Formats: sequence, structure tokens, C-alpha cells
Amino acid sequence: MRRGLKAAWPIALGYFPVAVAFGALGTQAGLPYPWVQLTSLLVFAGASQFALVGLLAQGVPPLLAASLGLLLNLRHAFYGPALRPYLKGGPLEAFFLTDEVFALALKALPGLLPRERRGYFLGLGLGAYLSWNLGTAMGALGSKGLLAWPALGAALSFALPALFLLLALPHLKNPAALLAGGVALAFHLLGQTAWGLFLAGVLGLLWGRKP
Amino acid sequence: MTLALFLLALGTFLLRFLPWRGEKSLRAGQAGPALVVALFLVSAFGPPPSPGWLLTALALLGTYLGARLTGNLGLAVFLGVGLYGLLYGLWP
Repeated sequence: MRRGLKAAWPIALGYFPVAVAFGALGTQAGLPYPWVQLTSLLVFAGASQFALVGLLAQGVPPLLAASLGLLLNLRHAFYGPALRPYLKGGPLEAFFLTDEVFALALKALPGLLPRERRGYFLGLGLGAYLSWNLGTAMGALGSKGLLAWPALGAALSFALPALFLLLALPHLKNPAALLAGGVALAFHLLGQTAWGLFLAGVLGLLWGRKP
Repeated sequence: MTLALFLLALGTFLLRFLPWRGEKSLRAGQAGPALVVALFLVSAFGPPPSPGWLLTALALLGTYLGARLTGNLGLAVFLGVGLYGLLYGLWP
């Protein structure tokens, strides 16, 4: 697990400013701090958390807001099957399965001994989870001054694209990955990021299947 | 409101957990690589196309060179973050 925790620091670096922003947004929207923190503790999925809080702040009915948040997370259904050749998913592993944890695990797990994989994965997830929740607490409790320097906030936010670049490099000659990436980017530029990622997963899933 | 939070948490957990359970019938195909490349592109390039893309591209190049030179993923990310912050501060 220690190895996974150490490997998680690029994720933690990228999560922190985003989580500070989430915590600040939640309390500024008038939501009580414990509720905002509970969202990060229980959901642990950035985009849907932002959607939930943003929609609630606009007066959208809570169940509708939760349903829309859940739609944003549909892509997560593809992550487990992609990791299954290397690691069987239990409840704890599944709880930690974010975009970034998935991408880093997909690169690292094949190179580990089977007995090392679960601990490594849990370390990755725990490192990401701690950063996300610490950032939420600091943002919600008024430490958003941490991001008063725009260059610092922007620089830390760049950690996630930088990490994804390095994880994507080995797949840039894979036609399925390139097609799926192009579709996701096109949808993203049209403002439909969640659907683009979902379609990318479907394309990857169907690629090369016999009719 | 709290019920909505619990439903979102439970739904997200089930989306992650159920497809990952032991059944071998669902094969992932190329879903892993496809999603990793898609996540990279959507995280790096926000709409609309803007001069910020050049800043991002330069910092990504720095990250790539950092990875090639150091062979260390974490260090390369750190170098990319530093370069991005520097360019962001200097950008007119």
C-alpha cells in the first residue's frame, strides 16, 4: 500500500486545488460545511459533486440534481472491466475508482506481482481520497485564500492534464484510442464532456468485436 | 437534500462496483486505452479554442521532455506544473 500511496502524489497535487474550489463553492452556495464535506467523503467524484452543488444552489429539485450527477458518472462503469484482468474489484477498490486512479492503475498494475496489486491500488485510492477531502475541508472552512495567487491555482490544476498525458502516451498509436479520444474531444468542445467520455468508453468496448 | 446526496453516493458506487465484480462475460475490449486518451484530451483542452491552448501545449511538451529525461512520472508532472505556473505568470 505504501508504494501506491507514494505513486498517488501527482493525483493528490492535481486534486487539491479542485477540491478547495469545490469546498468554497459549496459553502458560498449556502450549504452547511458538514454536508459539503459529507459529499466529498461519500461520493468522491468531482464532476458530479460540482453538478450536485451547483444545481442545488440554482434551486433544482434535489432528486433531479442527484440523477443528473449520476449521469455524469456513467463512464465509471467501464473502468472496472478494463482493470479486471489485473485486479478483481471489491467494494473498497470500487469506492476509490476515480478517473485518475483508474488511468494510473491501468498503467501500473500490469507491471506488479498479483499479490502486490491490491495494496498498490488501495494506496493510490487512499492518497487521492485524502487529498480530495483535505482540499474540500480547506476550501469550505475559508482557506480558499490558498488559491489567491491565480498562477499557483492554475499551475496545480495542470497536474491532472500532465499526468493524463504521460498515461496516454503508450496508447497514442492505438486506433481505437485515437478515435475514441477524437469523439470525446469533439463532444467536450461542444460542452458535452460527460457524454463524450461515455461514448469513448462504448467505442473502446465495442472495438474489434465480432458481429 | 441529504437523501439526494446518499442516492448519488450509492449510485456512483454501484456504477463502479457492479461491472467490476467477478463475472467474465463483459470484456472491456479497448475501453481502457480509449478512456485514458479521451480523459487526457478533455482535461488538457477546454472549450473554446483559445491562446490558452498554446500555453497548455507548451507545458505538455515540457512534461513529456521531463518524462523522457528523468524517467520518473511524478517528477515529470511536477516539472510540468512548475512550467505551466511560470508560463501562466508570464503570459500577457
